[in-house]
Amino acid sequence: MLFNSLSFIVFLAIVLVLYYAKLFNWTNKKRMLLLASYLFYAMWNPPLVILLWISTIVDYTAGKKLAVLENQRQRKMWLLLSMFVNLGFLAFFKYGDFLLENFVTALNAVGMDFQAQPMDIILPMGISFYTFQTMSYTIDMYKRKIEPARTFLDFALYVTFFPQLVAGPIVRAKELITQFYEEKKATTQQFLWGTFLLTIGLFQKIVLADTLLAGTSDDVFGSRTILHGLDAWTGTLAFSGQIFFDFAGYSTCAIGIALMLGIILPDNFRYPYAAIGFSDLWRRWHISLSTWLRDYLYIPLGGNRHGITSMYAALMITMLLGGLWHGAAWTFVIWGALHGIYLVIERLLRNKIRIKINTWNGVLLALLTYTCVNITWVFFRAREFETAKNMLASMFGLNDGAKILQSFDIIKVFTVITILFICHWVMRNTSMKAVSLKTPPIVLGIVWAILFVLICIAQGSGEQFIYFQF
Amino acid sequence: MQLKTSLLVALVLSAIGLVSWELYWRSQGYEPTLDDNKHLWAVERDKVNSLTENDVVLTGSSRVLFDIQLDEFEKVTGIRPIQLASAGSSPLPIFHDIVENTDFNGTVIVGVTPPLFFSTTFPQAGPWRRPQLRVDHYHKRTYANRVNHWLSIPLQENLVMMSGHEEEADENIDLKGLLRRIKLAERTGKPQYPPFFEFGTIDSDRNTRMTERTATDTAFANVITNAWKFIITSDGPPPDVEGTTKFFAADAKKFMERGGNLILVRPPSSGMFKGGESKFFPRDKLYDELVKITGAKSYHYEDYDELKDMVCPEWSHLSAEDADIYTRVLAQEMIKDNALTKPTN
Repeated sequence: MLFNSLSFIVFLAIVLVLYYAKLFNWTNKKRMLLLASYLFYAMWNPPLVILLWISTIVDYTAGKKLAVLENQRQRKMWLLLSMFVNLGFLAFFKYGDFLLENFVTALNAVGMDFQAQPMDIILPMGISFYTFQTMSYTIDMYKRKIEPARTFLDFALYVTFFPQLVAGPIVRAKELITQFYEEKKATTQQFLWGTFLLTIGLFQKIVLADTLLAGTSDDVFGSRTILHGLDAWTGTLAFSGQIFFDFAGYSTCAIGIALMLGIILPDNFRYPYAAIGFSDLWRRWHISLSTWLRDYLYIPLGGNRHGITSMYAALMITMLLGGLWHGAAWTFVIWGALHGIYLVIERLLRNKIRIKINTWNGVLLALLTYTCVNITWVFFRAREFETAKNMLASMFGLNDGAKILQSFDIIKVFTVITILFICHWVMRNTSMKAVSLKTPPIVLGIVWAILFVLICIAQGSGEQFIYFQF
Repeated sequence: MQLKTSLLVALVLSAIGLVSWELYWRSQGYEPTLDDNKHLWAVERDKVNSLTENDVVLTGSSRVLFDIQLDEFEKVTGIRPIQLASAGSSPLPIFHDIVENTDFNGTVIVGVTPPLFFSTTFPQAGPWRRPQLRVDHYHKRTYANRVNHWLSIPLQENLVMMSGHEEEADENIDLKGLLRRIKLAERTGKPQYPPFFEFGTIDSDRNTRMTERTATDTAFANVITNAWKFIITSDGPPPDVEGTTKFFAADAKKFMERGGNLILVRPPSSGMFKGGESKFFPRDKLYDELVKITGAKSYHYEDYDELKDMVCPEWSHLSAEDADIYTRVLAQEMIKDNALTKPTN
């Protein structure tokens, strides 16, 4: 079920009525939320709920064992079982075809004539999100960083909680399970703020991503001809805006919906396009994934504890795997590699050049960062290396290709992206909540109404969120 | 933060804004209509799975959609057909889906619009891709898709602002459609598609009728004929007569071998369409040959005195009134010929 759909509006209304009606005690309310979450997922593909159940049962059992077992070898076996199941799901469902394809290529490269039928495996929606979330629980249990979930219901709800089930934020157990222990009820302020966030999220998705930017991005990246530089840049900028509004929109909706239930989810985006440098970018973009990768991959790989070379190697491996997390294609690996290289270069330069950031050089550095990010987006969006190569050649003036975009499309994209960048820069060191507190209520109401009316006028065709496929 | 005040302001202003928006577009002559989208098509396609051998399925391009009126057909034959025709489409992918993915062995009436029927079997070409997307959607649609469509019906039927079209028509009043109307300096150097407007209304079982305006307002009909002219005179790939005929014949054979009753119909056309179709898709070499190869029953409008001089206001489809006549005559001829009865082997 998509947040930007009529069925979700009805679903949410029913859930809220059942949640706030005095029909159930807290345990039954949690059961209702769990059933609602399974229904939310099953409305897309019912049989794949079984994967959620398997993940839930295996990790709950592993967590319980890890809490009581003292034998280190046995503890490791339970951790490995959890990893095997979750990573096995990922390997089979997400990377099965990719692995097979590369296996065939490798055999052909060494002269063995081998062909294989693609497996055409369906990719369960949000599998990368919930497997990472449940793995964080067992890893934290293994490291004895957290207490086991008190009940199976609490754990199942942690794995399946519908607002963040299919596209995050990837929430750690200590941040979410503990909230299920005591009855939760949103205050009026929380409920209304959650509703406002839901409106903002839907506006980002329906109006900004789908209506204003997606068409241009699709036209440019779907073009089979070599493009003019302006068209290539416009398409890339459009995609940079589309993916931000699409994903940040989903996270904002998720945070808002959870808040309407009195549950607090962590921020996932903090105005990333105003980032100065790439370390800053990853503190602002998909925060729940970048902190996950930091805690469960980069640090276990040694982090910065074993010298500079080892640190750079850990960084590169982390970013390469982070790229692969997004999709089973080499273009995603290159995307991750570019980010890894950016981070390495930044760390090298940071030791040699000290810049005191002020407004003017800050804006320039943020623009430079954003420009470099756009180059990586080309690999992220292009389905083939040939497309990426042609796009980059056009962007750097090496092609004098076809003009496929109309003047208005170009103006539209540059206007939206300029406003996006200015907003991110202005909001860089603050938050929407802080700004709202300073805004007169009537002005906030007018803004709210404009967003809502534009959502209704834009309608949208219930397009999927891009990150569902990851 | 006084969010209650903000919410109140937002609710009042949103209500005023949306009511004004709705009233404005109604004052501009817009009326709520259903959209002929993939969801509506999928609902009808689903019905094929439970049809009996006495039932009738229609498929083809927009001419079957506009020209065969379900009520009239039912009045004459006692059978209400399932309408699966798809505008701007080759009928081949949909017929192929019926043959390959259902056990249906009743009657399938396939409309032949020569430029579309004989166009292509290339999956990425528009006349193939458009119906194939509908077929794919039907097979992949989720429960959420079904519920969303079901919930959207009363909104589409009652609110102009919710009556957007899946196809990019120039009259669309959703935000994307409105932005598309803004034209600045042309920079692509390519000929631009002339304005195109919807000229029919569809109901929940996809019975489609031409609007009164299209039938009576020549200036409006000319807007549509300009669009047809643009399509006809544009450079496009040559028709693949051999490939399409072979593809269809194979499906026809399979369908008839399992007891299916196949009927080909050729609805009328006028003006530049008729001229172009006669010249580039001569009946004796294409349509008659198709009938011969497949062994299907055939109803060509030129063979009937009541139909042969019918005029399509925008060259390709009949007015609602003429569509009733066309359907009545067609259905009566079918009854007379016992054509809706399956052949006994």
